[in-house]
Amino acid sequence: MRGIFRVNNREKEIDFHPAATLLTVLRDNSNTEVKEGCGQGECGACIVLLDSEIVNACQVLAASAMDREITTTRGLGNIHSPHIIQQAFVDAGAVQCGFCTPAMVLVTLYLLDRYPDPSEEEIERVFDCVLCRCTGYVSIIEAVKLSAQRMAHGK
Amino acid sequence: MSEMNWYFPESLDEARGLLGKGHVHGGGTQILKRNMRRINGLIDLGRLDLKYTENDGGIIRIGAAQTYTGAVQSMRDIDPDHILVKSLRKSSSESLRNRITVGGSVAAFLVWSDIMGPLLALEAAVSLVGKKEGDYPVGEFIENRKLREQSLITELSFRHNSWISSYYKETRVQFDHALFTVTILLRKIENRVDDCRMVIVGTKNRFMRLDNLAESLKNRPVDAVDPREIAQTLEIDFPSRRSLPSEYIGHLARIQIERGLEEVLRR
Repeated sequence: MRGIFRVNNREKEIDFHPAATLLTVLRDNSNTEVKEGCGQGECGACIVLLDSEIVNACQVLAASAMDREITTTRGLGNIHSPHIIQQAFVDAGAVQCGFCTPAMVLVTLYLLDRYPDPSEEEIERVFDCVLCRCTGYVSIIEAVKLSAQRMAHGK
Repeated sequence: MSEMNWYFPESLDEARGLLGKGHVHGGGTQILKRNMRRINGLIDLGRLDLKYTENDGGIIRIGAAQTYTGAVQSMRDIDPDHILVKSLRKSSSESLRNRITVGGSVAAFLVWSDIMGPLLALEAAVSLVGKKEGDYPVGEFIENRKLREQSLITELSFRHNSWISSYYKETRVQFDHALFTVTILLRKIENRVDDCRMVIVGTKNRFMRLDNLAESLKNRPVDAVDPREIAQTLEIDFPSRRSLPSEYIGHLARIQIERGLEEVLRR
């Protein structure tokens, strides 16, 4: 089947299998920054924003995401012009292998949209959706707090 | 494999017309766990106006497409201590709570779902369109498979009351499927039990309402209720799991029922 997908503010007309997940469609169409981890909705590596809400792309059938706003980490910034959150993750040393980082960045954005000055409890509750096997989470939480500070000051 | 067709109805009438044509429409995220090769069509409910929570003169109505996140946010505004706020906040993870729908959960009735115990305890009704159009108690919907044939859930509803509530799910880690859940609702008037409802989900018959026990507590002084004594006398039949005999699961459930009762009685 064919459908229109709006990814990072760009429309793409894509042919895809009706049973394909959003993860498959994104990765098959150049959005390889969306990572496949478990394929079960448990690791969170494939998290994207769907109409400003975090979802596991492996648990969304692509057809149900047509004509909706999909945002990946690439939609926030790039190496030449990183988003505040992306830069905060680098500055806080919260990137080791980097596999979970695209999802962590999006979850941070989602969190700070709702809780601009999040408590530890709010951070832990929202970040229950994404795993990191490298950092032990301390630096990630520091990156989230640093992002919150910088976004509050408009840096 | 024949091609799977998608349908995007924009009205309930249009959706009604699609029912009974061999299309799967129960459950959302759960569909991904099925053998997709056997599904020849899917109805996407995203364009129907089924994503809402309303307080309609004391009746709470939750649209079938309301997500767990949406339900928690809405119910928190109505009653921050509501059993659905407690139970759905514990369900899976934030990203999945943004996708799991109330209607999809009821349609699939997964034994480990965090919504079933509370809906049964609240004596919620499920509204159907299609072959068996009408409102049915959730318990009846679960037990009568014929109600699911060629039907579509549009709404869940229940009367809003001020309950003291307790919810527990038995898991090792948050992502585990629950072995069982315990839902307790209690209302007190002048230090006496006015009403009580208790539901365990995950038993051999999928769920068990402790109606006799709840009835026996009515009008009893709160201080005269001994949760331990009550829990120890309960006979609950669980299926055995790998490395977990049913007797042990029953033992765990009795502990949690005692703790839950203690919690609601002393608040």
